[in-house]
Amino acid sequence: MSAPIIKVDAISKSFGAFKVLDGLSMQVMPREKLALIGPSGSGKTTILRILMTLERIDGGHIQIEGEQLYHMERNGQLLPADERHLARMRQKIGMVFQLFNLFPHKSVIDNVTLAPMLTKGMPRPAAEKRAMELLDMVGMADKAKAMPAQLSGGQKQRVAIARALALQPKIMLFDEVTSALDPELVEEVLNVLWRLCAETDMTMLLVTHEMGFAHDFADRVLFFDRGKIVEEGKPDEIFRHPKQERTQGFLKKIIAAGHRV
Amino acid sequence: MTQWSGYLGLILQGALVTIELTLMGSALALIMALLAGMGRLSRFFVLRALATAYIEFFRGTSIFVQLFFAYFVLPLIGLELTPLQAGVLALGLNVGAYAAEVVRGAVQSIGREQHEACIALNLGRWQGLRHVILPQAFLVMLPTFGNNAIELLKATSVVSLISLADLTFQAQVVRAQTGNTMVPFATILVIYFILALLISWGVRSLERRMARGLDGVRV
Repeated sequence: MSAPIIKVDAISKSFGAFKVLDGLSMQVMPREKLALIGPSGSGKTTILRILMTLERIDGGHIQIEGEQLYHMERNGQLLPADERHLARMRQKIGMVFQLFNLFPHKSVIDNVTLAPMLTKGMPRPAAEKRAMELLDMVGMADKAKAMPAQLSGGQKQRVAIARALALQPKIMLFDEVTSALDPELVEEVLNVLWRLCAETDMTMLLVTHEMGFAHDFADRVLFFDRGKIVEEGKPDEIFRHPKQERTQGFLKKIIAAGHRV
Repeated sequence: MTQWSGYLGLILQGALVTIELTLMGSALALIMALLAGMGRLSRFFVLRALATAYIEFFRGTSIFVQLFFAYFVLPLIGLELTPLQAGVLALGLNVGAYAAEVVRGAVQSIGREQHEACIALNLGRWQGLRHVILPQAFLVMLPTFGNNAIELLKATSVVSLISLADLTFQAQVVRAQTGNTMVPFATILVIYFILALLISWGVRSLERRMARGLDGVRV
């Protein structure tokens, strides 16, 4: 058995008096596809944001490929990570946001080429070639010259996925990537995720309310509630035979709201 | 008739000086606005303090006094400036102080999600500013920058007080030589107005060009 690619050890995080994460620990194996589910405010999005270094932790440790994310070792001591260390660690991780966060003043292809050119010093022709391959993979090659405002939500999200992939991260974080989409656009984004799953060996963490998709897609499902992982297991165990009362209650509500499980 | 055309020539020479002052003053104001505006947003206390001191001082004191200081007082400490240099310096620093707050406000108006996208794509602080935040913020700044440039144009008339032969100065000359007050001042009023219109028009067309594609309609 290989070593975990992500190791979260007893991290805590508060926003003011509100404790979002409370001594949370988890491990993710390389290539694993993980679905994070749970009620809003349960901390599932926060853990993704922490892994992307968008939020700092109040306590605990995180290791990515055996290396500390928020700390660096100097002369045997653990010090808080500086910007250089964080930048190096971020190379391993990519993130796709609920609201796409495309750069509105840049065309589709420029959105995808910007980071590789700036952070990896890739020359423009190479970056554009790679961007076109990625846009092709997400079915957006014909819109390469379009501006984000001309695209539908589903198209924007597919561009955002291509943009994150351009940096070739080992770990991809998907934060409710279909929640802001009209129902008829959800599938085109989920299809892209299926393709990534089949064609790459990235580790994928997915916060989602699409329970049907989570069931089919994930190797393992984590149920979050009040800053803790209440239950985890294979999709079938969690969705068909949840053991914890809180998981049962949550799934009942979700099914009542008309979601397929 | 020939006499009036000679005087008109004088006034047009003055217009050139006014335009020159406006362009150079605006360039300095733009630089100062970006420096001080970004300084206000800096992580470093010293930069924030410097920027704040500059902005408050130049907004809080009269442009007349600033100009006189540049032209009459600086030579006393060995810094001799030509009237044009003094004019550009005073106007640029004064208007730059106002525009710095525009820069700060515009940068702060760019949503958090754009900053987060920069972090997720591992752009450095400066790279994110340069390629993502400032280009979007600049569009927010433009209309107010247009206002600032018009303010600067109008403020150029104070340089006539340090003997720089701008529009206002030449109108005084014409008045002194002809005894006619109405014609020279009506003429420069119209010229100032036309120059201001040109600035408005220029800024608006720049704004339209930069906004192209952002709303998904015009491409």
